[in-house]
Amino acid sequence: MGEPVWGPVQEDIVGLLNDHPADVPAVVDHLTKLQDMLVRLPPLERSCPLADFNELYLTITMSVLDGLYDDRFADPVFLARLDVEFAARYFDALRYWTESSPSTPRAWSCLFRRMRGPDARPLPSAAAGVNAHINYDLPFALVTTLESLESEPVDNTDQHRDYLEINRIFAERIPELRRGYLDNWQLMIDMLNGDIDDWYQGELVEYTRNVAWRNAQKIWRCRHDPEARECERERLDGNAAALGRLLLSPLGAFLQ
Amino acid sequence: MASDVDRAPLVGRAEQLATLRSALLDDVGPGQTAAVFVTGESGVGKTRLLREAGQRLRAGGALVLTGACLDIGDASPLHPLLQALRRFDAELAASHARTSSAVGGLLRMFAEETAGPDGAGALLERVSRGLHLIAEGRPLVLVLDDLQWVDRSTRQLLLYLLAGLGDLQLSVLAAVRAESLQGAHPLRRVLTELRRLRSVRVLDLAPLGRADTERLATEIVGGPLAPEAAESVWQRSGGNPFVVEELARDVRDGRDGVSDTVREVFLSRVDALPEPAHAVVHAVAVGVEPVAHWLLAEVTRLPEEELLDAVRAAVAHRLLVGDDDGYRLRHRLVAEVLAHELLPAERAALHRRYAEALTSAPAELHHARLAHHWRLAGEPGLALPAAVAAAREAERLHGYAEAHRHWSAALQLAAAPATGSSAAAGPLDVDRAELLRNAAEAAHHCGEHARALTLVEELAARPDALTACALHIQRARYLAAAGRSAPAEAEYRRALAAADCSPRERATAAAHLAELLLHLGRYADAGNVAREALTLAAEVEGSVSEVVLASMALGFSEAYLEDPDAGLAVMREALDTAERAGRPEDVACAYLHLAELLTGPLNILEEGVVVARRGAERVAELGLGRTYETRLLAIATNGLFRVGQWAEAEKVVAAALRHRPSGADAVELLLARCRLSVGYGDVVAADRDLEAVATVLAGGGARHVIPMLTLRSGLAMWQGRHDLARQAVQRGLTESRSDDVGILAALVWHGLRAEAEAHASRAVPVDATAVRRLREVAERVARKSEHAARPVRDVVDGFLTLCEAEVSRLDRSDPQLWARSVAEWDRRNHPYPEAYSRLRQAEALLARRSRTATAGRLLRESYRIAQALGAEPLSAEIRTLASRARVSLGERGGSAEGRPATGGGSAGDELAALTAREREVLEAVAEGLTNREIGQRLFISERTIGVHVSHIFDKLQVRTRVQASAIFLRSRAE
Repeated sequence: MGEPVWGPVQEDIVGLLNDHPADVPAVVDHLTKLQDMLVRLPPLERSCPLADFNELYLTITMSVLDGLYDDRFADPVFLARLDVEFAARYFDALRYWTESSPSTPRAWSCLFRRMRGPDARPLPSAAAGVNAHINYDLPFALVTTLESLESEPVDNTDQHRDYLEINRIFAERIPELRRGYLDNWQLMIDMLNGDIDDWYQGELVEYTRNVAWRNAQKIWRCRHDPEARECERERLDGNAAALGRLLLSPLGAFLQ
Repeated sequence: MASDVDRAPLVGRAEQLATLRSALLDDVGPGQTAAVFVTGESGVGKTRLLREAGQRLRAGGALVLTGACLDIGDASPLHPLLQALRRFDAELAASHARTSSAVGGLLRMFAEETAGPDGAGALLERVSRGLHLIAEGRPLVLVLDDLQWVDRSTRQLLLYLLAGLGDLQLSVLAAVRAESLQGAHPLRRVLTELRRLRSVRVLDLAPLGRADTERLATEIVGGPLAPEAAESVWQRSGGNPFVVEELARDVRDGRDGVSDTVREVFLSRVDALPEPAHAVVHAVAVGVEPVAHWLLAEVTRLPEEELLDAVRAAVAHRLLVGDDDGYRLRHRLVAEVLAHELLPAERAALHRRYAEALTSAPAELHHARLAHHWRLAGEPGLALPAAVAAAREAERLHGYAEAHRHWSAALQLAAAPATGSSAAAGPLDVDRAELLRNAAEAAHHCGEHARALTLVEELAARPDALTACALHIQRARYLAAAGRSAPAEAEYRRALAAADCSPRERATAAAHLAELLLHLGRYADAGNVAREALTLAAEVEGSVSEVVLASMALGFSEAYLEDPDAGLAVMREALDTAERAGRPEDVACAYLHLAELLTGPLNILEEGVVVARRGAERVAELGLGRTYETRLLAIATNGLFRVGQWAEAEKVVAAALRHRPSGADAVELLLARCRLSVGYGDVVAADRDLEAVATVLAGGGARHVIPMLTLRSGLAMWQGRHDLARQAVQRGLTESRSDDVGILAALVWHGLRAEAEAHASRAVPVDATAVRRLREVAERVARKSEHAARPVRDVVDGFLTLCEAEVSRLDRSDPQLWARSVAEWDRRNHPYPEAYSRLRQAEALLARRSRTATAGRLLRESYRIAQALGAEPLSAEIRTLASRARVSLGERGGSAEGRPATGGGSAGDELAALTAREREVLEAVAEGLTNREIGQRLFISERTIGVHVSHIFDKLQVRTRVQASAIFLRSRAE
């Protein structure tokens, strides 16, 4: 306990987190506002590692929203609810962190801790956020969404196909995001490397997203059993935290 | 069994207590509901806050019922409510014999409830009636602790009561442990939905601040702490009151610094316990809390004196708390510390003792607890019959989710290798096929379709399974319920082809297949299969249900394929067949389908309404009021709304709501009533219904979201809140299923209208992106509806015409487009959108300063319709435009605003501005009735009467009921 975790933007962030966005346009609005606050957070400001993730997440969510308006999905109700429920977990993690709560998921706190420095490269930072969000938050968001829609995680349904459609959104967005992170020096390396790490990054998301679907099916089966459910949560949190720490370690810098 | 735990002061929660009191009692109007969900981490003081708040609410005159949910999860339906009632019953046993009999009556109802055809809905209704009797007019507060463990049935009951469907003034105060909302807790989504409602608050209980932490520590120590000690308590506790208390006590007792964490605090205390007390805390940790005294005595096998000493020691060490109904561990942390202390064999032995003690003395949750303890004692053979009994018990109270849990446990137990005392007896003697069948049905009933299918697969692999045909039918049912139509169709076809299919099964499969094909939009196929089903059913005695179902499929498919008369004939014949056979459900079904056919695809509204109302009466005679009568009345209400008989629709919906429907039926009716209120401009009533709908939908039901949002945006527009209207539409656009073209078209119209109104008002800027998107969706809807059936296309075309006309308003409103819309809606016999379109056509003509005579005629016609409907906001808009354009709306003598001149004209003229409904109300006012009495007479809410009265005052330009009555009586005298 001591000074506020968000320094000069504490009030803004607490105010923002008091709201619980309930539809996809509201989530986009929330992430946009959060982005403005995060880049004002000293000492790192524009290079805040969480801002790196938040920006990526905002871009993806805007693409999902466009997809919803453009009739890209077979079951928009499912996807819209999933998107809201998914985002709610990110905001929850931020809320726990704000209160210095021991309940902050470990998967997230390894990234949050780096907001004060030392600086991490944008790509591994964003990847660490993606890791926490997909490996830890997503399976639970899926279970909650399906349950509230009185549906189930069954392979090859409209909902499963829509879920996989998000992979394509990630794939579409990641190359251009990747270019956004480059500075001159890295541009040179990138020319030598070609599209290899674009490909690598895209694969990572797709791979972990499939794992998340399987994990959701696993949680689904034990969702009425508080003990088993908590056990599963602990396991996912631990795994995601380990991977997150790896991404943020000096080793992770090789990603970029 | 007092401990100094209870004597610790409540520090830093004064504000929360005040909030709770006003939110749950003072600010809750008669007949309203409210809820506060207190969330916070373990030890932050939720239970304590609940207790204090409960006392204050009781002191404030409320009847407070207190219960807690159990950590064995979905074990028993409605457990917390039952517990609260039993506690209350015990409290009252001596003093209030009369109230006690009401409590006893409700408890008896639970004991005697049997799973009937009306199912869970009827139970909800009976519970709310029982609570009504118990409350005796006092505000009722339900206090529920540990809501994170709530069972599904209680969750549904809470939503039902909070939506106001139980017609009960009720507040709910519940505590939820924040940690457990992480992960995939079922309450998460419910809380997200409820958080948006005005009547619901989520109070996040934060740890204490530095100053309050010190105050609390000072109180416990009994004097100021040394600065280092204060700092250390603050640093180590993080402001968590439970931890602060424990650390401060250590400071007081001179043990400061011995233990660094609360965990260690407890560990050292457990170590310090005398042996019998040790046994007591371990026994409680293994039991299902609260553990009754007699049970603890049996399990610990301590003599009474020794047991009392041991309990006293455990309480003194602040590890245990005692209550009237038994003992609990002081805190979850204590359980965690103790969990590592016992060896598995010791734990199993304790479970065995619990099971043995409970076997000889049936108690609350008898079977569920017995199954739990025998299982953990390693005795599957003894746990199995208990699990089966628990499942049947849950099914009796319609708790299929809970039943499914017990059936699954039974299956696992049956598969477990025999151990313990039953090992000698060899493999368990159970009918596994029977267990599988029961588990599958329970899973199907609670929406676990995938699980139900897995169970059927296991069943199919057994030699003692059902016939192949029966299995195909069962699979098809589950698949269809899961919305997986293609595999469901394949299963029905396999059933029909199966060699072992009985004629009865064949007829059943064909009828259901026809229904499925209808839902898939394959009308020709549906018709063919339905004909086949009718032929098959004709040869089987007593297959009336199949006849009704197949006739429905045939009737609808003929209607869609544009031979309405043939379709109607089939359906009428089915109704005759059902009446002759006399089974109530079949008759009800036949009426329902006939009414749907008439008001739906055939758009023969008047006749549809008559059929629906006649059906409702007939069904009530047959004793099926709750579900079928409600549904038939919902059809009648919607039909009446569309043909413009709003006053009649209002009566019908009020009658239907008297059955206190639940779930989807309730949502349909509330939306229907809300549609009327939006039309009348009764903002308060519309808002209340929308909140109620949102409350029910928090428990599930995505397909009603779009109509709800459409109404929300319609209401916002009448209030001039185009921004809110836009928001509602945006949410709807991102959550609508793209194949629901009809409701999507209505939503898009609302969106474009909001932008057009924003443009006209100049108060809110037009959102160009929103307009672009809405137009894209409109185009998409048009494309998709090209291939839809005629009735669907018809509805969509009407809205698309409105859309196109609204778009023109953003530039220069096109009277031609509005004229087309008028014609479209007139052809359909829907006066409300017709009147609206006439208004806009007139507006467009006036703006172009052309054909003002036509505009005047249009406005007068529009006003006549709007007034006849009672559509007040629409009338007001017409009056505004008429006054701006100096068009007279009255036939004679009316002023520019369309109001009869007061004072000058005759009294008959004075009443000309009143709608038919308002005249009825005024007549009752003149009789001296109160609003409540008028409401009862006219079957509408007291509040709506209030709105009517204020409109009457406004139009007659009077301020009192006496003045209004005088005008009415004068007009009658003439």
